[in-house]
Amino acid sequence: MKRWGLTLGSFICCGLVAVGMLLQLTVGPVRWDAMAWPANIIVLAVLLLGIISMHLLRKKVRLFRWMATLQAGIPAMVACAMLTVLMGVTRQIPSGHQPMEPIGITSMLTFWPFVLSYTWLVVLVGMVCMTRLVQPSLQSIPFLLNHLGLFIALVAGTLGAADMQDLRMVVQEGKTEWRAVDAQHRVHQLPIAIELHDFSMELHETSLAPKSYSSAVTVYTKRGSSVDDTIRVNKPLAVHGWKIYQYSYDEARGQESDISVFELVRDPWLPYVYIGIFMMLAGALSIFIGKKW
Amino acid sequence: MVTWNTLWLFALLAWICWTVAAVLSLRGKRQKAVYLLTICGLLIFGSYIAMMWISLGHPPMRTMGETRLWYSLFLPLVGLITYSRWHYRWILSFSTLLSTVFICINILKPEIHSKELMPALQSPWFAPHVIIYMFAYATTGVATLMALWQLCKKQDQLAAIDNLTRVGLSFLTIGMLFGALWAKEAWGTYWSWDPKETWAAATWMCYLIYVHLRKSRPDAVTPALLWQVVCFMCLQMCWWGINYLPSAQGASVHTYGG
Repeated sequence: MKRWGLTLGSFICCGLVAVGMLLQLTVGPVRWDAMAWPANIIVLAVLLLGIISMHLLRKKVRLFRWMATLQAGIPAMVACAMLTVLMGVTRQIPSGHQPMEPIGITSMLTFWPFVLSYTWLVVLVGMVCMTRLVQPSLQSIPFLLNHLGLFIALVAGTLGAADMQDLRMVVQEGKTEWRAVDAQHRVHQLPIAIELHDFSMELHETSLAPKSYSSAVTVYTKRGSSVDDTIRVNKPLAVHGWKIYQYSYDEARGQESDISVFELVRDPWLPYVYIGIFMMLAGALSIFIGKKW
Repeated sequence: MVTWNTLWLFALLAWICWTVAAVLSLRGKRQKAVYLLTICGLLIFGSYIAMMWISLGHPPMRTMGETRLWYSLFLPLVGLITYSRWHYRWILSFSTLLSTVFICINILKPEIHSKELMPALQSPWFAPHVIIYMFAYATTGVATLMALWQLCKKQDQLAAIDNLTRVGLSFLTIGMLFGALWAKEAWGTYWSWDPKETWAAATWMCYLIYVHLRKSRPDAVTPALLWQVVCFMCLQMCWWGINYLPSAQGASVHTYGG
């Protein structure tokens, strides 16, 4: 049974790599930007429904029963580790660029075999979590913290990546602005607007280099509410899911700058990633403290 | 006023306590004295750090020398926790030795104290991230040495190797997640797959495989021992190997000394 299980696991991983190579050659690298809302929530629903239905059918289908075993998990971990090592020994190109060679391993995050192997691992982790979730017990808590935490962090982090927005907004003193640009210089209209009252800067007494700078602003939301605050470096303002950072100013005019540049970040899946991370932290502590493994 | 010049005095007193405790535990004698002396040493060294904190006006975590103070304190502490958990007689000698190395560096190379850290490292996450990783490196290093020992001499050490690996893995996990939380706060992403992070993920996965392999095939001893060595080689790549790796040149924010 064990030998058979490990062999099957290895075959499936080799199959996934082969299928991944075919996909890579036919449809090209994985398009993560296509995962933006609402595609990601649909993928999440399909993933969870798939895991739950496979779990419910486990008594009838031997394959689904096997998926929650170590014999399935170990080959999947080996496949992911090997692809990660491959990523570690090849120079990776920055995200958003095409791979440097025809195979695609210089852009491992969009390399189908890599993505499929990790997806397979996540599905297996989900399956093994189900077996513990349906029979809750105190002994399962460390196990679930580790496995379910990893599942939540990986799924939320990966599916949520396309929804993260990181924009720059330039505002003139006395003006109100609601448009911002992304890294590809595309203009976005935002549901919040920033009115800049005053940009101010403190200088170092000797070098006259900027010591700190800040912007007195009012932030308006589409719903009609507004917030008055001063945004400083390392002191961002959080409004309606957006985090507004003091980013820059008119550097040619320095202290006399009448504009302020803000960085606006929105990451709606962040709380779920944090839940996963904190579960894993608690799980790691429970390994160290726990009485029996 | 406490300065670096008085470090040797506190360090010497703490070192005497830790060394006597380590020798006693090695001989398996006087359990109470082992605990008392180790705690005494921790209090002496801890009070030095506390006084440094007060005289500096901020926690001493800003320079490499200051972070080494924390290693020197935490190593015997975690050694004591491990000792109380599994009663390995040698663990306190090991933690004391490591701590001594860091104290000696701090006493012999005082010029490093004045150097400021680069801006990205001026974060409260820096010290715990590094200290936890260093402890993980230390425990997994011992596990590997024991695995090599068992491979050559055929003496059964597997239970201790498993325990050390699990402790190491749990610290690797905590260090990695602290790094992710820090990165999110400082750079806006938890995980940017820079070469150090890629190798950290590979290393973490290797130790996960070890733990699951031991559970799946408890009888497969030699493969497990060999895999333990593979894990540690992966860890070395992550720790310093990437500094020499062509694919990682200029691509990592983690390379030391650059």
